[in-house]
Amino acid sequence: MKVQRGILLGTLVLLGSLVLAGMRELRPEYVSYAGNSVPVGFIPSLTNEPEYCLTCHEGIEEISSAHPVEVFGCVSCHGGEPLSLDPDKAHAGLIGGRNPSDFNVVEEGCGGEACHSGSPEDHRDHIARSLTSIQSTYAGAIAQVRFAFGAQEDQSAGYGIQAVRDPLVTTESGVPALLAFETTLAQDPQPVQDFAERCLTCHLYAEPIPEAAYKRLTGCAACHSPSNFMGTYVGEDPTVVRGESGHAAQHRLTTAIPYTQCNACHNRGNYSLVDMTFRPRKDLPQTQRAPRLQDYYQPIAQFTLCEWELDCVDCHTSGEAMGDGDLHSSQSEVQYVQCKTCHGTLEEPPLTYTIEDSEDLALRRALLNPSIDLQVGDTVLMTTLGEALWSIRQLPDGRWIQVGKATQVEYEVPLVRGSACGQNVDEQESRYCHACHAVERP
Amino acid sequence: MPDLLVNIVTKRPNFFYHLHPPTIPAEQASFSYTFGLGGLAVFLFLVVAFTGALLLFYYVPSAEQANDSIQLLTYHVPLGWLVRNLHYWSTQALVIVSILHLLRVILTGGSRPPRRFNWLLGLGLLLLLLGLDFTGYVLRWDVDMGWALLVGTNLVKEVPLIGGGLYRLVVGGSELGSGTVPRFFGWHVFGLLIPAAFLFGWHLFRVRRDGGISRPKPRPGRRSDKIGRELLLRREVLAGLIAGGILVILSVFFNPGLGAQLDPTQVIGEASAPWFFLWIQELLRWGDPLWMGVLIPLLLLILLGSLPYVFDRGEEGGRWFPRDGRRAQILAVSVIILITLLTLVGALR
Repeated sequence: MKVQRGILLGTLVLLGSLVLAGMRELRPEYVSYAGNSVPVGFIPSLTNEPEYCLTCHEGIEEISSAHPVEVFGCVSCHGGEPLSLDPDKAHAGLIGGRNPSDFNVVEEGCGGEACHSGSPEDHRDHIARSLTSIQSTYAGAIAQVRFAFGAQEDQSAGYGIQAVRDPLVTTESGVPALLAFETTLAQDPQPVQDFAERCLTCHLYAEPIPEAAYKRLTGCAACHSPSNFMGTYVGEDPTVVRGESGHAAQHRLTTAIPYTQCNACHNRGNYSLVDMTFRPRKDLPQTQRAPRLQDYYQPIAQFTLCEWELDCVDCHTSGEAMGDGDLHSSQSEVQYVQCKTCHGTLEEPPLTYTIEDSEDLALRRALLNPSIDLQVGDTVLMTTLGEALWSIRQLPDGRWIQVGKATQVEYEVPLVRGSACGQNVDEQESRYCHACHAVERP
Repeated sequence: MPDLLVNIVTKRPNFFYHLHPPTIPAEQASFSYTFGLGGLAVFLFLVVAFTGALLLFYYVPSAEQANDSIQLLTYHVPLGWLVRNLHYWSTQALVIVSILHLLRVILTGGSRPPRRFNWLLGLGLLLLLLGLDFTGYVLRWDVDMGWALLVGTNLVKEVPLIGGGLYRLVVGGSELGSGTVPRFFGWHVFGLLIPAAFLFGWHLFRVRRDGGISRPKPRPGRRSDKIGRELLLRREVLAGLIAGGILVILSVFFNPGLGAQLDPTQVIGEASAPWFFLWIQELLRWGDPLWMGVLIPLLLLILLGSLPYVFDRGEEGGRWFPRDGRRAQILAVSVIILITLLTLVGALR
């Protein structure tokens, strides 16, 4: 009898365990994310391999119109295990964790000849340009600090955050290679070592200062996937913890970069060379963004109306921000857009250029920003280095209209020629314009 | 209807009854004598074999597709995860139960004549079982097992004279590569399984042939109670139900690992042997691979094999810790404790 009762009990144990197994089968763990109890798969045309990432990440924003999900899928850029429905296994081998554009992995995440490590002629050398730009090498600051403390004889760049080479120097100020800053640190004076320890938070390899207002990702996404003030995600991917800092605001890559993203590094304070610490601006609120005008420039700066109404990317070109492909000793060597680039001078109108075919770079870039409707045959402004200012287009009546890349606000661009401007003809740099046109900070 | 069912299940001498002797001594049939370890091992072996057969429907034995096919099975095939998890957990349980069974046998004098040969068969079975567990582990073809595969197969090279040839026989090439998966698959489902199944049958046959479970010689004046095979079978059903329930519960809550696909040309991941070979990994840290990885384990095996021949020549079996078997008992327990300690050190490292 005892055994028979035991068998009854044993049957219950087995049945109970089978009920548990049935529950797991009918309500798998991944239900808790997007509510899907069966896998959600699709086959991106580029890889032709099924991916089940959307089982959990259903609702996530398409990264950009240039990377349609039905073509690229997720794994082309992010890596990982597309068949897995277990969080740990699915995310094993992710390229750069959440950020495949991190500069340590960018070649794997965003590279490839047909993608972002193609030739300069095709304007597909984005990675090479970014990795040689001052934003990633920080070579200017390093050179100046080392020069200031006697560790080098002039201000020309010799060291970068990472060792980097430029096989083809195309400008006079370009240097062929930088050594890694850390390789010289042991011999450098103490202040330079302090600088290396405390002040290297601004370059694009680095994580930002861990406080609100400085929020950005690393690598390409630092600029192209803007963060909000607190660094929280506000998109539709149900797996991302709401209120958790350290995310881009959405799963988006954009060229319509608002000034707020630039401000995460610029305009929030300065490093003091006296004690090598960061001195944040004291005139800004700590828990929310300041009004745009207050946020804009540091108190000492002079600036004009368009400089705070427009976004940084409305004037500064890709060549300035991402570099011209050469390694430079100072950002000033690549920064060349002036007021006159758009407004011309008393004697000269700005340079212009007419789009002649559908493969034109200006057209390609305008396509990425839906607020700008550019057509073959349109005439746009052009910089002295031949970069198209594709958001500034001429109307049939001859006037110039600029559309804010991030704001979509339209502005008419007045020309100096024919105006009442009384400036000397040989004093046409922006600083002379600021003398009369600067606005007062409130 | 219920009568018929009861008849079929309990009254009529069905196939399962035939596998058992009509009666066995009550004392030796008690749980505290065997802990049901041998029977449990049989049950687990059958579960492993059955779930393994199911896995064959989905597993693709190629370096390119092995890992993906396991993911497909685990995440997309209905109840596929359950089959894989049961296969895993019943294998691990089988290793542990087999070792405990080995200890029970030596500590109750169960390896004494006429059961000495069956002791050797059991050891052979354990050896094949470890081989099956290891080859199964490799069939995941993920980075987590890369180091174990590399080190484990390199040990084969250490065997004097025939090492190189043996390596190619085991690995399916002069180095780890795309030929390794089909080769290990072959070993797993054929080269090791067929001999194991054969030894399994032989081992059970020898239990009956040697007069059933070991027991003291009948003496005049001593009562010897017996139980029938009906009761024995019911106890086995009970043990199977409970063990099955535990296996399913383990499978529901704990998944065996599965890392990213292994690329043997790349740097191989962290150094970690599967738990049942952690003790060899620990030994390898101490010295020459031939000694630590091959000869010492081999000597331990020979020592265990020789216990009933050299160190335990008593006659009385069938009760715990017979006095005239002290030497063998101490040696066996020492070997198991040594291996357990080395395993713990390796696990905690």
